[in-house]
Amino acid sequence: MIKIENLSVAFEGTEVVKNVTLELKDGEILGVVGESGSGKSVTALTMMGLVSETAQITSGRILFDDVVLREAGKPLDKALYRKYQGAEMSMVFQEPMTSLNPTLRVGKQVEEMLRLHTDLTGEEIRTRVLETFEAVGLKKVKEVYASYPHQLSGGMRQRVMIAMAVILHPDLIVADEPTTALDVTIQNQIMELLREINEKEQNAMLFITHDLNLARRICHRVAVMKDGCVVEQGRTADIFEHPKEEYTRKLIEAVPSRLKKRVSVMERLYPERYGEKPGEKNEENSEEREKGIPKIAAVRDLSVYYRDGNRNPFSKKKQHCVVEGASFDIYKGESLGLVGESGCGKTSLSKAILGMNPLISGEIKLETIRPQMIFQDPYSSLNPTKTIGWLLEEPLRAVGKLDESLAMTAEDRRAAAYDMLHKVGLEDKYFGRKPSQLSGGQRQRISIGQALITGPGLIVADEPVSALDVTIQAQIMELMQKLQEEMQLSYLFISHDINVVYKMCDRIMVMKEGKIVEIGGTEEIFSNPRQEYTKTLLKNS
Amino acid sequence: MRYLGKKLFTLIITLFLVSVAAFLAFQIVPGDVVGSIVGEDASPEREQQVAEELGFMENGKKLSPAVRYTRWMKGVLQGDFGVSYRYSKSMNEQMPVKELIGDKLPVTLWLAVISMVFIILVSIPLGVVWARCNNKYLDAVLGVITQTAMAVPSFFLGIILTFVFGILLKAFVPGGYVSYKENFGGFIGYLVFPALAVAIPKIAMTARFLRNSMLTEMKSDYVRTAYSKGCSKRRVMYGHVLRNAMMPVVTFLGMIIAEIVAGSIVIEQVFGLPGVGRLLISSINTRDFPVVEILILYITFVVIFVYFLVDILYRIIDPRISEK
Repeated sequence: MIKIENLSVAFEGTEVVKNVTLELKDGEILGVVGESGSGKSVTALTMMGLVSETAQITSGRILFDDVVLREAGKPLDKALYRKYQGAEMSMVFQEPMTSLNPTLRVGKQVEEMLRLHTDLTGEEIRTRVLETFEAVGLKKVKEVYASYPHQLSGGMRQRVMIAMAVILHPDLIVADEPTTALDVTIQNQIMELLREINEKEQNAMLFITHDLNLARRICHRVAVMKDGCVVEQGRTADIFEHPKEEYTRKLIEAVPSRLKKRVSVMERLYPERYGEKPGEKNEENSEEREKGIPKIAAVRDLSVYYRDGNRNPFSKKKQHCVVEGASFDIYKGESLGLVGESGCGKTSLSKAILGMNPLISGEIKLETIRPQMIFQDPYSSLNPTKTIGWLLEEPLRAVGKLDESLAMTAEDRRAAAYDMLHKVGLEDKYFGRKPSQLSGGQRQRISIGQALITGPGLIVADEPVSALDVTIQAQIMELMQKLQEEMQLSYLFISHDINVVYKMCDRIMVMKEGKIVEIGGTEEIFSNPRQEYTKTLLKNS
Repeated sequence: MRYLGKKLFTLIITLFLVSVAAFLAFQIVPGDVVGSIVGEDASPEREQQVAEELGFMENGKKLSPAVRYTRWMKGVLQGDFGVSYRYSKSMNEQMPVKELIGDKLPVTLWLAVISMVFIILVSIPLGVVWARCNNKYLDAVLGVITQTAMAVPSFFLGIILTFVFGILLKAFVPGGYVSYKENFGGFIGYLVFPALAVAIPKIAMTARFLRNSMLTEMKSDYVRTAYSKGCSKRRVMYGHVLRNAMMPVVTFLGMIIAEIVAGSIVIEQVFGLPGVGRLLISSINTRDFPVVEILILYITFVVIFVYFLVDILYRIIDPRISEK
């Protein structure tokens, strides 16, 4: 049994974990949920003895079967920890690509566990690794054994990580966002695998996640963390059905879910076309409904190609078809959701619409000037050396350079930038700041402002809320819908999160292997998916 | 194999372009080469004789640059690098460039080999130890030492080494270069000191570079994974980090090798070594163009060849590259 008693951890005098008490029994999965900065990862890393050396334990202790692993005021006993790390407690990390050493074969990396903690011979070690690979559902285990991490898919890499974590049958497995970096269908398989392992091995599992839906599915008990404190903990059902704390309620509320009522901007924009009686809406044919609403984009038989990565001028150019024969329309004021697994051509399709890929065939007709884009990662998509004001003005400058007639004076640009700052819900004082001084949510507001400032009718939003915490996610979606109504915008909304798509979109387009397999109204798709693939996508989330 | 073919092809194209550029460049440079060889008072017959010998004229007619380039290139491909304008073998015979460079090349190559041995043997362990050290005083001391070693100009370092090892410790005789033809042991013994002068700044740079690279790698996710398995810091450093951290360092070492093999002009000057670097300078000063042209080809070849080796090494270290 593992106990964290009254643990506080501080970095340079600032406490990021405050008086946390957690207890893990054998066979139990304890979920720790919270937004980024809530201290959930630091708690886990401290427990594992992996927290950086600058961290100080200011109060409490960590007990592993009554052995004190860590105690306030005492330095980290590395030698003691090394006996537990790997053998008694192991960890599965979020990013299986970067968490494996890129220059070592994965078999060797898993072997290291046995070399460190057992006296088995080379042949025994190899057999054991192969057995464990099979146990975690890997196929062609000998090939996997000899592969480097980059030769495996994301799901396989995570299975390798899990094999590494379970090979010595530890009493505790810490899983830190183990499925966040994976596709929905893979996510599901990995979750099942973790649950199976827990049932079979009856070990304790600490499951850290920002995704409340995941925690709800797998955990026996849940602890909710905020600002370094555990605000509430208890049985999963109790927490989700009868949250005692205001924060827990807010967190659960913010999670997009199919059970909640959708807000449709289209309904508000075109009340005469969209049914006043909600009951009838579902039966109506969506094609029928859209008649009369102006189109902002018409895509016909669009195929998108890529040249093969080979840049050698002498080799034959091979073109790779990534999107095949896509035909669809986007209506004014509509949010069209685009879903599918990674690599299905979502991004290629959106780039083609933005005019960023010249290698296309077919037709794209736009009723608007340059469509703009909102990116996923607000941290890397804003130039860190510029001020917010400069960033907001930049699209206007660019437009002015391209088309003299649209050029604006410096004052006008400035005024427009201030105006946009207000529209996205930020105050004047942010105008002169740098992106690094803003939070993730604020940065995403700036990205949205940048996309909207030139007044495009169509916005391609590529996973715009995926990098954000749930509560921020809800705010950004609300902002996007508000602006959509005000400015009559159309969104092509790309997301892997079916629930987010449900909340945002009027119609959904499902892509698989470069082809559009299904398009339909959100309610239709969710209540009555026609394609098998759509069903699996929906089922897995 | 396809990869090798591709590389070889690039090498040939590059050498061809460089050879054309080098040849043409010296056609444009003004000055009467023949006149300066035979002297002002020479008879026209003598002048013509020399001009024909140097390949400027044939049967009393001047040859166009294109014809001369083709002949020169044909010669080069057959191993005949032409003759020097400046150096004579005997009264009536100019010195072949091949012999001239052939004499100097071993000096430069041995200097390069000894320097590289120093650089690799010292900088890599130094970089690793530095990255591992927890002692902030040692860290600061190493920082100051390497910074100084990097900043001191190499000629000054050469002078200091000469003073300390040559004059104070009498470990070698300053200016007492021994030819490798006479006494190979003495030759190597003498070269150790210029090699040190070449190596010390590079050791400092490489060690610093490796240390920084390792510290960056230490922040990677896979390092955290290694610790979570119960690896000691030592094991993490040698088993996981070093190989990944070596990748940028290998490129850096390649640049250094190319630089040294091309000839350390300053160090050869300070230590009085008859190497390729000094030959290059004197040939440029005396407009000994056939020598300069061949040296340019040599340096180009060395640089490309070393980068090719680096590329192969890179593929061995990083499995991700060969598949792209």
